[in-house]
Amino acid sequence: MMDLIVAVLRTGTPMIYVAMAGVLAQRAGVWNLGLEGLMITGACASAVIAEQTGSVALGLLGAVGFCVLLSALLWLVIEKLKANPIIAGLGLTGLGLGGTDFGIQAVYGSEGAVTAPAGIPTLGPAFGPFGVLDALVLAMPVMVFGVWFACRRTRFGLRLTASGEHPFAARSVGADPARMRLIALLLGGVLAGLGGAELSLGGLDIFSVGMTAGRGFMAFSAVIFGAGHPVGATFAALFFALVEFLGIKAQLVFGEHAPRDFVLMLPYIATVLGIWISARLRGGALLSAIEMRDG
Amino acid sequence: MRARLLAIIRAIAFIALALILCGIIFEASGFSAPDMFSAILDGAFLSDGALIHDLRWACPLFVSATGVVVAFRCGYFNVGTQGQFYLGGVGATVAVALLPGLPAVIVTLVAILAGIGFGALWAFWPGWLRIRSGTDEVITTLMGNFIAGLLLVWVTSGPLKDPSGSGQVTSSPPVPLAIRLSTDTGVSVWILALTVLVGVVTWVLVNRTAFGVLGGLAGRNPVMVTWQGARLSRLGLGAFLFSGATAGLAGAMEVLGPDGRLVSGFSPAHGFTAVLIALVANLSVSGSVIVALFFGGLASASLYLPVIAGLPSAAIDMVNAAIALFITSRAMPGWLRLPRRNRS
Repeated sequence: MMDLIVAVLRTGTPMIYVAMAGVLAQRAGVWNLGLEGLMITGACASAVIAEQTGSVALGLLGAVGFCVLLSALLWLVIEKLKANPIIAGLGLTGLGLGGTDFGIQAVYGSEGAVTAPAGIPTLGPAFGPFGVLDALVLAMPVMVFGVWFACRRTRFGLRLTASGEHPFAARSVGADPARMRLIALLLGGVLAGLGGAELSLGGLDIFSVGMTAGRGFMAFSAVIFGAGHPVGATFAALFFALVEFLGIKAQLVFGEHAPRDFVLMLPYIATVLGIWISARLRGGALLSAIEMRDG
Repeated sequence: MRARLLAIIRAIAFIALALILCGIIFEASGFSAPDMFSAILDGAFLSDGALIHDLRWACPLFVSATGVVVAFRCGYFNVGTQGQFYLGGVGATVAVALLPGLPAVIVTLVAILAGIGFGALWAFWPGWLRIRSGTDEVITTLMGNFIAGLLLVWVTSGPLKDPSGSGQVTSSPPVPLAIRLSTDTGVSVWILALTVLVGVVTWVLVNRTAFGVLGGLAGRNPVMVTWQGARLSRLGLGAFLFSGATAGLAGAMEVLGPDGRLVSGFSPAHGFTAVLIALVANLSVSGSVIVALFFGGLASASLYLPVIAGLPSAAIDMVNAAIALFITSRAMPGWLRLPRRNRS
């Protein structure tokens, strides 16, 4: 049981950070499909900078910096150039996936993987099975609470939500939706950078090309599954992590009877089920929703 | 005419913007941007045999792109082209494996139909979920891509594994030459004929049938189409199935054509590029022909770069992604703005 909790927390935390970035964007009215690209950029930048400078703190800072920069680029394209957010987001994801591949090859040749000298500090063996949990995992509940508090208990959060749900209403009380989206995306960049860094520096301390493998998209789905609520999205991300853990366990127990490739499919299938359930419960867009998504 | 000219200028302007962004990234990572771009240009269009390679990649890309055009015009963001393409390849290989000893023509025909069917099937479930319960098709089709990728790994390392194969990349046994549509060059009468056929069929479907016209309207104003009595769900499902079928056909063309076998993780950028072609062509079938030739060139350059020029092939992925980032932009200086009625 203990190892289940620890494993789910460790797999879920990177997704939760990224999902919180998605929650902020979602509330501001941006379907941020660039999360996958932000996540891999964070994972890559933190590992490469930690390897080059030897400092994990600088790695985290660099990951956040790159992700904030990319988020600003996304905002510019969506708000100033009026691009379709879905396609622009997918473009940003492609830029992250291609750019990290390119960057790794530029710095290290064609190895495709970077090993950082150290990871994010952990609790240490004194805490038994919980000793492997690192600072970002421990900070996760606080971060989720912070996002919840900002969204649900502050004037900023109300204006943010209004900007997404009813930009006209937001404008009428003096909140500029475009500016709220910029703030949401930049804050999201910080969180997505940390989530990516946790993915690479939170366990094996390795970055390999394409290592996110759709986790950013899963985090985005967790936002939908959790109805844009920070706590809902957190539990959705933990659910996806649980499915992944159970798949690995099943493989250990059943061996050959649980083919590896099918076990690896489980989180993706769970994601599809998750957003299908959420569409059934809350009603999805039965008509083409492109106009609404543009809003 | 003016509208079309403006659409072309607009596409070129945004591609230029994307190239500038990539140039900055190239320079920042220590490469020379002019060298990189000249190597890409060589690999895509100028080196010996580049045009044949261009055509080899452009044909399947165009076939998939026509499906994307139909789905996007209907207002459905089917970005699962990659998965449907893989399933098409699997379908064709299964057909070849199950039908030994039959005349080659029949096997080829069945394999192509199997590819189309498998591809359509892989587009059916996201379409069904979308139309019945409003499940967002962007996520389901993206997840479908990952699932299809793993399915492909399983198929090529399990049931359809080449027993004599070795090395890291698993694949199916080679398809007999008699069944194949082309040799390894990937350009043959059959491939070209299939591509032209798909292009003509799609053009007629989009521009000369009730389905195409209503679908195009549904993409812009679904409420109006419903009020006019069209069955939106039927249109949408049709669009999903058509886009899956074309992607599946493209997958079958790869397996029966240039690849000659089902390789684990083949053409990993196919789906994204096909979506990009449709968008750059402003969702026009005829425009997609020229755009597909451009991106076919880039696809062949991504093989040329690491082998001949010693540069990372991920540069092409970046160029594609940067174009995707900008291409849907609607903000333009006044004199370049399209009149709204003629936009697509």
